[in-house]
Amino acid sequence: MTVVLQSVERLLRGELTRSEDLQAGRVEASASKLLAVTLVMGAVAGACVGIYPAIRNRPEGFLQMGASTLKVPLLYLLTLGVTFPSLYVFSALANSRLRMRETLRLLLIATAVNVTVLASLGPILAFFAVSTRSHAFMQVLTISTFGVSGLLGLGFLRRAVSHVFQEVAKETAGEPSAAQRMAAVASATQRARFIFTMWTVVYALVGSQMAWILRPFLGAPGLPFVIFRGTSRNFFAGALDALRWAFE
Amino acid sequence: MRALLREADDLLRAEGRHALGMLEFPWLRLALLVIAGGFCFGASMGCFGGRGLQSVYSAAKMPFLISGATLVCVPFFFVVNVLLGLAGDFPAAMRGVLSSQATVAICLAAMAPVTLFFYASGADYPTALLLNGFLFALASLGGQITLARHYRALIARDPQHRVALAAWLILYVFVSVKVGSILRPFVGDPTAPTQLFRATAFEENPYASLYWSAYWILHK
Repeated sequence: MTVVLQSVERLLRGELTRSEDLQAGRVEASASKLLAVTLVMGAVAGACVGIYPAIRNRPEGFLQMGASTLKVPLLYLLTLGVTFPSLYVFSALANSRLRMRETLRLLLIATAVNVTVLASLGPILAFFAVSTRSHAFMQVLTISTFGVSGLLGLGFLRRAVSHVFQEVAKETAGEPSAAQRMAAVASATQRARFIFTMWTVVYALVGSQMAWILRPFLGAPGLPFVIFRGTSRNFFAGALDALRWAFE
Repeated sequence: MRALLREADDLLRAEGRHALGMLEFPWLRLALLVIAGGFCFGASMGCFGGRGLQSVYSAAKMPFLISGATLVCVPFFFVVNVLLGLAGDFPAAMRGVLSSQATVAICLAAMAPVTLFFYASGADYPTALLLNGFLFALASLGGQITLARHYRALIARDPQHRVALAAWLILYVFVSVKVGSILRPFVGDPTAPTQLFRATAFEENPYASLYWSAYWILHK
């Protein structure tokens, strides 16, 4: 546990993603420690999500809490597993300095940051779970915490990706004229933006569907406990229905 | 397998044999990447509904979908290059074109797990079609990066290459739509029998269908 907490501190302080290391194509964090951080922090976040059903839907709520504790880290790790080949291909296509192993470590770092932020929002979820009856409110709050942690994780990744391409910009900035130098720097920035956008699109596409098939996380009042609700329809059809109901 | 993955990595990064400005034209290796990548994505695209035979058919057809239009368009592309006074650069231009298609195949192969994951999570037929169309669009974007990378040097040498590139892209897309229409089905409607080609494969014209759809929408 101490190792995990030490790793979390180093992670959040940016010691694993130093600008000079990323510029040189180095990511020296230990993959097993990152995995441990993701599993532990994901489990903490999942347990916090599960507090609401545990309080409101006894005795089955405790089963839901246990399931959520397992499912939240799974959600992030399985999404990374499915998307990693595409993420790596787009990264190589943008001439990233990171090789396959380093790309995987960087993505594990971003996942660990995302899950750590989510776990840090856990006490807020727990507080509202204790003091709120409305299931709909808890659903919105849970989705919002996932959204906020995702945005902060993306911000972290965006900064890391721009560090990776800074060195490329510097190298190409040896062009003779000022106009060519500016064009070289702009091209490196564009590539950083491209890789970040592609990663976000592919990850969001798979992540949303992964969350859909791993649901329920919060459980529904009045419904019996199930580990998975089955694979009927998909996230996007569900979201469209929810929008339609919202405006009806 | 390891050698093929290294080759793919070199192509994506424009390194080694695939570095820009190399005189060697590794067409055989590029063709191998198109076949391997296309086969991999085709097999996953065709296994919708757990139909093994459709998966084999789609795997066999996918490399033709990626590169079939090239075979038809190359004579015109050569003539355009000659007319524009770019005959000397034709091998470099073809290298760019084939490299971009191999890039598309690699991107598709890398996204095969996404397709399989959506199928496993219970996607219905329209969702499967939409998803694969979207993944194709992403892969095409990857191919455009490689093409632009190769053409940047050519355009710097002679701006007429812009015209040749535009001519290539317009014709390639035009022919590819028809090639895709002939080679259907790739996903395969689970309620229809498994088939290599549709019975009306060579009779259907996607452009005529498009015209009549537009006509119907405007006159209804």
